[in-house]
Amino acid sequence: MRAVIADDEELARRVLREFLEKEPGMEIVTECANGFEAVKAVAEYKPDVLFLDVQMPKLDGFEVLELIDRQVAVIFVTAFDQYAMRAFDAAAVDYLLKPFGESRFRTALEKIKRRTGEIRPAELSTELKASVRLPGEYLERIVVKDGAKIHVIPAGKLDFAEAQDDYVALHSEGKTWLKQQTIASLESALHPKRFVRIHRGFLVNIERIARIEPNTKDTWIAVLSDGTRIPVSRGGYTRFQSLIGQ
Amino acid sequence: MHPVLGNWKGSLLYLGAWIPLGAMLGLLISTAGHLNFLDTVAVIVPVDIVLAFVCLSPWYVCRALPLRSTDAVRLIGQHLLAAMVVSAAVVFLARIVAEGLSNVRPGLDQRIGAAYPVLAAMIAMIYLLSIAMHYMVIEAQTSRRSELLAREAQLRALKAQVNPHFLFNSLNSISALTANDPLRAREMCVQLADFLRTSLRLGERAAIPFSEEMALTRMYLSVEQVRFGQKLQISVDVEPACGDCEVPALVIQPLVENAVKHGIALLAQGGEILMLGRIVDEGLRFVIENPYDPLAPSSRSGIGLANVRQRLEARYGKNARLDVEASSDVYRVTVIVPMRNA
Repeated sequence: MRAVIADDEELARRVLREFLEKEPGMEIVTECANGFEAVKAVAEYKPDVLFLDVQMPKLDGFEVLELIDRQVAVIFVTAFDQYAMRAFDAAAVDYLLKPFGESRFRTALEKIKRRTGEIRPAELSTELKASVRLPGEYLERIVVKDGAKIHVIPAGKLDFAEAQDDYVALHSEGKTWLKQQTIASLESALHPKRFVRIHRGFLVNIERIARIEPNTKDTWIAVLSDGTRIPVSRGGYTRFQSLIGQ
Repeated sequence: MHPVLGNWKGSLLYLGAWIPLGAMLGLLISTAGHLNFLDTVAVIVPVDIVLAFVCLSPWYVCRALPLRSTDAVRLIGQHLLAAMVVSAAVVFLARIVAEGLSNVRPGLDQRIGAAYPVLAAMIAMIYLLSIAMHYMVIEAQTSRRSELLAREAQLRALKAQVNPHFLFNSLNSISALTANDPLRAREMCVQLADFLRTSLRLGERAAIPFSEEMALTRMYLSVEQVRFGQKLQISVDVEPACGDCEVPALVIQPLVENAVKHGIALLAQGGEILMLGRIVDEGLRFVIENPYDPLAPSSRSGIGLANVRQRLEARYGKNARLDVEASSDVYRVTVIVPMRNA
């Protein structure tokens, strides 16, 4: 089995390395010190298992999970986060609590070996992220992968999102990024006062809406500040009205 | 001291409330005894004034017979008895007044006789009502006091909180060191123990000299430096005169912990935490500066700051300040506390 370790602390990586080196048939292909490196390493080496710290520079562990191949088995490694622990338990994700001993480490590894070939549900990382957010806290940034590149879009810079089958097209600063996620789950993660679902297929940053024009009897058109025209359904129009308090 | 008589505003308000009450009593006895206006006023004014003061007396009785801990029968019995005594005494007073006035207003003592039963009943009711109101006041005071106590306890708990994330990560570092660097592992155990012991000891005190708070902060940082290695650089520049200034215990260390946790730890290359202590006109000014990743999610960082701000305000009011400035890549927290020698 081939493993990648992602943790920003050298000493934390050292423990994992020590335990992994004792395992027959186990090979550490690379070690990463931040989230970007972890995503790139997984794409490059296609490991069987990724040991993933939750709090890391650049991208946190949940964001890394969103961006990597769903076939890679992931073992979260974290010190203490009661929210994360509850989320891991609920989602049946394997995790190790720092500091951990060798027997606990072996148990996690055995479980992973039995599960090889399993594919994670696409929404797992979104669900995990949602369950560690406190009530009233919303997504501050969206991470997307474009080939080998990783983009971080601050929520305020997202103009609108458009549903495209299993993907959402994220429009920001004149560019478009595709991400595998449903528009409903994106909507629930973003601040409900800043983003409004004006149509079944469109989620719009309310600050970008320049005006709303009537279209047919029951539909409207939202014109964004850059001139983009987006359809507004009857339900979407009601949501928009109640949001701006009219 | 009685809550109403304690301040002149309350006393005036209370006496003012007795004007309509007196008018109502007057109306009742004038109807029952067929008295004219002057007769009514002459009797009711002294009765009203005496009653106003008598109705303050339940304060002492109510405190002697607390609602929760007094037997219900005894409670009701005592208060009913008191109401009857008060009512009888005040009616007796009314009678003396009426008799005294019968020289100038012949027949007043005869006519008023018909009004005594209704007067007695009203006085007893008013007295019982005043008892109920006193219990309400006492209840409100108790709940306010317990709220204050609860807040104090909460603040103490917040203060004594050692961040579990820090603790477990440090233990993990020790665990990593044991295999090939046992001496450093031991050293880190000692540093961690020193920090925990000191923060527990200081947490019991309300205010401490700034030098002790700085010593604790250094202990904390020495543990974190093992964890983060070269990523965490420290620079401290504190005027010696700052050392004696009194600060609330555990206000600086959590701020430095924030700088590590939300600043340095989330930077791939790490960075330097700058600490600057100076004596200025307003008192002691302490600045913590750290580089940070503006794109990093900022969730939950506000809790520690809010806690420190609350505690500064509780102790110094407007004389203390906590300012936060975030430029594109530097986060700066400034604390100002008034100069008081510890």
